[in-house]
Amino acid sequence: MYFQLARRNLMRNKARSSLAIIGIVIGVMAISSIGVFGESLKATVMENFQNVANEVIVTPAYSSGYTSIDRSTVTKIEKMPFVDRAMPVKTELGSISVRGERGALTVYGMDESAVKDLFKAEKGSIRLKGDCVVGKHVAERFKLRAGSKIILGGEEFRVSAILKEEGARFDINPNNAVILSIKGFNKIFSRDYSIIIVKLKSIENVDSFKELVKKTINSREKKVSVFELRMVLERIEKTFKQITLFLMAIAGVSLLVAGVSILNIMLMSTLERTKEIGVMRAIGAYSETILKIFLLEALILGLFGSVIGSALSIAGGYAIDMLILGSAKYVFTPQAALYLLEGFLFGVITAVLSGLYPAWKASRLEPIEALRYE
Amino acid sequence: MDEKEMKVIELQDVKKIYEVGAEKVYALNGVNMSVERGEFVAIMGPSGSGKSTLLNLIGCLDRPTEGKVYINGIDTSELSGRELTELRRDTIGFVFQQYNLIPTLTAFENVELPMIFKNVAKHEREKRAEELLNLVGLGKELQRKPRELSGGQQQRVAIARALANEPSILLCDEPTGNLDTKSGRQVMETISDLNRRGVTIVLVTHDPSTAAFAGRTVRITDGRLI
Ligand SMILES: Nc1ncnc2c1ncn2[C@@H]1O[C@H](COP(=O)(O)OP(=O)(O)O)[C@@H](O)[C@H]1O
Ligand SMILES: [Mg+2]
Repeated sequence: MYFQLARRNLMRNKARSSLAIIGIVIGVMAISSIGVFGESLKATVMENFQNVANEVIVTPAYSSGYTSIDRSTVTKIEKMPFVDRAMPVKTELGSISVRGERGALTVYGMDESAVKDLFKAEKGSIRLKGDCVVGKHVAERFKLRAGSKIILGGEEFRVSAILKEEGARFDINPNNAVILSIKGFNKIFSRDYSIIIVKLKSIENVDSFKELVKKTINSREKKVSVFELRMVLERIEKTFKQITLFLMAIAGVSLLVAGVSILNIMLMSTLERTKEIGVMRAIGAYSETILKIFLLEALILGLFGSVIGSALSIAGGYAIDMLILGSAKYVFTPQAALYLLEGFLFGVITAVLSGLYPAWKASRLEPIEALRYE
Repeated sequence: MDEKEMKVIELQDVKKIYEVGAEKVYALNGVNMSVERGEFVAIMGPSGSGKSTLLNLIGCLDRPTEGKVYINGIDTSELSGRELTELRRDTIGFVFQQYNLIPTLTAFENVELPMIFKNVAKHEREKRAEELLNLVGLGKELQRKPRELSGGQQQRVAIARALANEPSILLCDEPTGNLDTKSGRQVMETISDLNRRGVTIVLVTHDPSTAAFAGRTVRITDGRLI
């Protein structure tokens, strides 16, 4: 019955109630669809990094004066438990010459299998035995094709493959580099390893691996440092969360506007219904009963607006995802559902909070004053 | 004690003073009055004489500036706001000049409302609402909204609503003030019929033919009974 009373009071001024509901709908939609989009964007980016989550990078401990990793250390790491595979890399700055044109670039020395594991060929097929592969930028700069010849440090190499352009990586970047086999590298340079990319059996092994390195290789002196990509990923994830939260807060302003409009509508309603409030108090309504009726009205506005807003947010999130990410597969994830729930709750809470003051004001009216009001 | 129990309403030296700016308005200036169970009392007086103020004090809608109001022997000055609400709900019925029905509710729901405030079970309250509307001759208009009813019909719905929780006192403030002679007469017949069934009635009017229904008439001018 109180529900009926509240509902019919809202029906009394349909235009006004509709406006309040639309305000909530827009607010909820803004919050939820931005949340869903942010989540989808994060998921899309993280997907690209997921396969490196169980990677750690071992570098020389520059802080204690080491600038390279020796062979015996590499072997120790290769033999450690938890290690799926270790990919040692040698790095040096080299000079290249192609048909008389010269330039400087990074030269990596690594196993063919490691290259195949980490990168993909755009043209040709990866082969390092006597050959080399080059990064995309190098190929463009020197107009190289698969089969072209280059001269590196006086030695001639055949380009077996041109690698696909790589995005940001944390370990090595092949775009502006030539990759040789370790043997090929040793022909030109005499240098130890600069980095070992270690794939662990599982992401859970990261801590055990670090502990083991500390106890063995670094037992007497800190020879190597271990970087975990897991931490970088966590940082990225956190950053995305913050950006999404920030955008949602901006969207929250629209909900605030909706709240103010509900406040305004309900204050007007309190004023218009002062006499009715007086009548109800006269025939036996507690002041809490009046509070309840008005809060119920705010709650109905909030629920109505939030249900519609959430429904539209699914559509909105889908549309934005399709438009910007080209796929809507992340709209229907538990995380996205959480953002929908958040938008829904914010909508309801805003409405009830906005109704609180008018409801309190209505409930505090003295019966006789309210009755006398014209 | 016995004597008090007989008295449904008792006012002792009641004053109601309004401060309008620097000026003091004595709406009631020392009223002593008592009403016995089953009585029908009319309060007559010119406009502004304090009739409504008096009725609102009896109805516990307002508190006196000075003096005491007893309802069924209870000193109302000792009651909390919540207890006053319960007293109004359970013991007192109000009928106003402007009917004051809730416009969004049907006649039937308006009569149910005081019982809802009292948490009366749905089945019981629906049965009683129907009985009451039959009693005031509106058995056919249960589902109408106030604006679909004539003034006289609205006032009879208001009477049915006032009776919902079986009050011992019915307070009427110019109940025929907005009605034509014929509907006014019907309303007054309904009220005096209730009195015959044992409801104590205090009715404010400035119309002598309305006051004629009462068993006793009290006159008031300038906040004093004469
Ligand atoms: N809230 C109020 N503030 C100031 N004066 C009031 C108030 N209520 C009533 N009065 C004054 O008290 C007097 C009695 O009013 P009222 O009881 O309404 O008279 P009646 O019902 O007999 O016409 C009038 O002079 C009126 O102006
Ligand atoms: Mg009056």
